[in-house]
Amino acid sequence: MNFKKQFKEGLLTKNPVTVQLLGMCSTLAITTSLFNGLGMGAAVTIILICSNVLISALRKVIPSQIRIAAYITIIAGFVTVVDLFLQAFIPDLAESLGVFIPLIVVNCIVLGRAEAFASKNGVLASAVDGLCQGIGYTVALTIVCVIRELLGSGTFGGGLLNGGEGIRLIPAEYPAMQMVMPVGGFLVLGFVIAGSQWLMQHLEKKNKKKEAAK
Amino acid sequence: MANQTSRKKESTVKYVLRLTFTLLLITSVVAAALAAVNAVTEPIIKQLNEQKTQQAIETVLPGGYSETIENFDDQNGLVTKVYKGANGYAMEVRPAGFDGEIVMMVGVDFEGKVLGISVVSHTETAGLGAVAAAKTEAGNAFRGQFTGKSGEILVNKDGGDIDAITGATITSRAVCVGVSAAVACAVSLG
Repeated sequence: MNFKKQFKEGLLTKNPVTVQLLGMCSTLAITTSLFNGLGMGAAVTIILICSNVLISALRKVIPSQIRIAAYITIIAGFVTVVDLFLQAFIPDLAESLGVFIPLIVVNCIVLGRAEAFASKNGVLASAVDGLCQGIGYTVALTIVCVIRELLGSGTFGGGLLNGGEGIRLIPAEYPAMQMVMPVGGFLVLGFVIAGSQWLMQHLEKKNKKKEAAK
Repeated sequence: MANQTSRKKESTVKYVLRLTFTLLLITSVVAAALAAVNAVTEPIIKQLNEQKTQQAIETVLPGGYSETIENFDDQNGLVTKVYKGANGYAMEVRPAGFDGEIVMMVGVDFEGKVLGISVVSHTETAGLGAVAAAKTEAGNAFRGQFTGKSGEILVNKDGGDIDAITGATITSRAVCVGVSAAVACAVSLG
């Protein structure tokens, strides 16, 4: 098990959002305020860890012919649990994310990690994988959120800071509200993906230079 | 490969049964776990919803309500609940918004004038339609426009005098439709 490698993969080189391009539906739909991004990220991370652990623990018991049905049942179970807890204990977040919490069931990141990782690796490694992929998802989501919120609403930390209104950085008459609408989601996501590609190439070049110097 | 060898050893009947029972076992365990969680969260969620409704009634109907009216005439089919108090009615209306139902509480006095409105739950776009429900300056300003209005209420684009929320005409229209339905229903009740 290589924690550092898994972490780097989850955060950058195999980031579920910017590289694997999974879970686009929620990424584009809910990234309009910091509160939504962090809340969705936390929910997905918890579900990823739980489902990865359980699927990894059961990987030798579940016959491969029915594995997808079994995985989806397990994932749906965890998602429903999180949904119920959110509605009961953090109703503001549940209302803000709305239908996108139940939709985590069909979020390809969770099933993707179950199929690609948890079904082939040990419990501990799968838990770490869930955590790293979850963090990668959260970070990507949060970056998109911050940019869209700033350009679209002119605030930072909406729903979270300053009594829910967020800190106003741009006067209310200037922000382009298209940025909080779907078109803004596609635009910002495209730029974020480009940015992460640039960062990866940049790091690779640096590594090569280092090796050449040796 | 492991599965293929085990398949050779097992008879087909046994193999199918094993698949069936594994899946049955997994779904049963998940169902049992969900039932347990639901037993814990259900009363809390119910209480929260009740609280929200109560708060909404208090906001739109000064003095609160004393009775619930079951028989009311509603031509638009939008009014779902009517509470009667000393100062008028609080009506729960559910107009269709931009993205799903908007559940609102509308206070109307006995003369058919709006006392106030409050959004209980909605799924409008954050930053646009959601302003209608937000407890912000813009949200309060939008909802405040309805106070004192009567008859059919329209946004200024449709010839009325309600300033629609910027970029959320459909949501604003939906709120108007809901409020109008509540007023019409209150007038029919007298």
